[in-house]
Amino acid sequence: MKDKIILLVEDNQNDEELTLRALKKSQIMNRVVVVRDGVEALDYLFGRGAYASRPSSEIPQVILLDLKLPKIDGLEVLRAIRADDRTKLLPVVILTSSLEDQDLIKSYGLGANSYVRKPVDFVQFVDAVKQLGLYWLVINQPAP
Amino acid sequence: MPTEVERLRAGMRVLSSAIAAVAEATTDSQRLLETLVRQAAELIQDTCIVLLKTPEGPTAAALYDPDPVLLEELRGLYEKPLAGAAITIQAMQSGKGAVFPTLDLEATRSHVSPEMYATFQRIGLSGSLIVPMRVQGEPYGALTILRHRQHHRELDELDLEFAQDLANHAAIAIANARRVDALRENEELRHAKEQLGRANKFLDAIIENIPDMVFVKDATKLAFTRFNRAGEELIGVSRDAMIGKTDYDFFPPEEAMHFQGMDRETLRNKVLVDIPEEPIHTAHGKRWLHTKKVPIVDEAGEPLYLLGISQDITNAKHHKQALLDAKDRAESANKELEAFSYSVAHDLRAPLRAIDGFSQALFEDYGERLDDEGNRLLHRVREQAQRMAVLIDDLLALSRVTRHDLSPEQIDLGAIASNSLAQLQRAEPDRVVEIQISKSLSTVADPRMMGIAFDNLIGNAWKFTSKTEGSRIEVGQLHKDSERVFFVRDNGAGFDRQYAHKLFGVFQRLHTEREFPGTGIGLATVARIILRHRGRVWAEGEPGKGATFFFTLGDPEAP
Repeated sequence: MKDKIILLVEDNQNDEELTLRALKKSQIMNRVVVVRDGVEALDYLFGRGAYASRPSSEIPQVILLDLKLPKIDGLEVLRAIRADDRTKLLPVVILTSSLEDQDLIKSYGLGANSYVRKPVDFVQFVDAVKQLGLYWLVINQPAP
Repeated sequence: MPTEVERLRAGMRVLSSAIAAVAEATTDSQRLLETLVRQAAELIQDTCIVLLKTPEGPTAAALYDPDPVLLEELRGLYEKPLAGAAITIQAMQSGKGAVFPTLDLEATRSHVSPEMYATFQRIGLSGSLIVPMRVQGEPYGALTILRHRQHHRELDELDLEFAQDLANHAAIAIANARRVDALRENEELRHAKEQLGRANKFLDAIIENIPDMVFVKDATKLAFTRFNRAGEELIGVSRDAMIGKTDYDFFPPEEAMHFQGMDRETLRNKVLVDIPEEPIHTAHGKRWLHTKKVPIVDEAGEPLYLLGISQDITNAKHHKQALLDAKDRAESANKELEAFSYSVAHDLRAPLRAIDGFSQALFEDYGERLDDEGNRLLHRVREQAQRMAVLIDDLLALSRVTRHDLSPEQIDLGAIASNSLAQLQRAEPDRVVEIQISKSLSTVADPRMMGIAFDNLIGNAWKFTSKTEGSRIEVGQLHKDSERVFFVRDNGAGFDRQYAHKLFGVFQRLHTEREFPGTGIGLATVARIILRHRGRVWAEGEPGKGATFFFTLGDPEAP
């Protein structure tokens, strides 16, 4: 399970720390790559810019994507992921604060695999992260 | 052959009857002429004709011959005015008659039409006489006798005298009849004028009382010829001052030019011109008009007048503008609300997550180093962060209810209520609540909105019966004043009716958080949902005996 990378796209430092803590508390020991805006996320995925030297075999098992991001927002990142042959089959979980209909509709419309609203209650948050990890890293069979 | 005496007697008879006829015949001169001509023709046993003076020449007005076949033929010949009837015209103008005991037919050939000549020749016209018909020197026509029956004697001076007497009487009759006709025409004219006057007054009254400005301008100078009261009030100038003047005397030059340009266009194209909006500077300031201009043309289609009708739309225009402005403001306010809600959803929740999350982390990692009071306080921090999250979510739900468009459809409110109850039961499987939901609660409403409304109403009932023995929730309907009223009733904590009006306000609570938790937003949300369905919502209750929430639904699709 160690080589299964989780890509966390999150600009909020608190949320980043809490998500990492929640993963740890859920006994998910996978490597987590954190990128802090949409541009960095795409650079990482397509091996560009600061990630030009990244080994191409390093493909994340699941992407946890926030919607509200600096530079390029989450929906645009999702669109770019789905438009590229290298990434179009990657599981993308939207992890956001928003419960607006429009965000849900747009996310699923662009091919999000899952949509999770971050609960304020940290206990619930840990539970959600735990279930996400269990499902996407263990139960779910990724595309070959 | 009749004797001279017999001739005189017969002549006297005709004359006296002619006099009697003239005395009577004041209205029908045509019948009088017919009678005279006939009697004369029967007396002399030949043709008698009365010719009247017309601009086209002498024209036969009455004609008779005892032979009906010949009479028809003669009528045909004399149908049109006679051309070149020199003898007749001369007799009329000179006032002197003439008798031709023997006639050289050949000599008359040039004076009559070929057809007439042919007839005269066939019947053997042998003599004639002609006498003028005059009254006080005014020629009216002539009376002619044609002699063509061979067995009769020749016409003589006595015949001429008789004929002249007869013609004189006929002339008087015609003059009288014409005078009577003229009088009658005068009378009719006067009558017509009266009627016209009445019709005009009626029209004036109508025009005067039309609430829009009505004006008439003459087609050439475009000067005002008519102006009504509404016009006087609108422009602020009396009609006496307006009549005879033009637009240039009252309005700024460009405005007058615009008005007259439209007038000319109307008169040129001869069709109604509709000007939906035009400014006008009146004595009371600038106003806006909706004007229709109509050309009034004569029989030949030439424009005589221009009729204008102007409605003052200033107020309507202001109202419309105010409405548009209000709509703009509402739309931009709505957009702001959208943006605000989005930012509330995202940005306000993030710090709450941090507060809750790090408090929990503190508790997990350092809880052992804190005493009971420290842990209790940490717990309170988390509790309040979570409460604020609920508040934010409830406020978002409330704003969503206002922002989202309704999509009404046929739904069963009973099923929606059951669904709300089932959720509550799942969250608290051990609670026993007696539920009663009426059947036939189907109606037309937005299913999602009604779901939110019932989540709140049933949620309240569930919450406020939590401390009640044998708690009961009832969902049903009743009919009041032919209106369908739905209700959700519980036997829970109830409320003091003096605070009933506060129930539906945002953040209004009738219980402490300790008694029954809540944000005070739920019923405000219900009220907005019902309001958006154009219905009403109200509540009845009594402390300790329960509460009933009633609502009606209007036509949600009505604008």
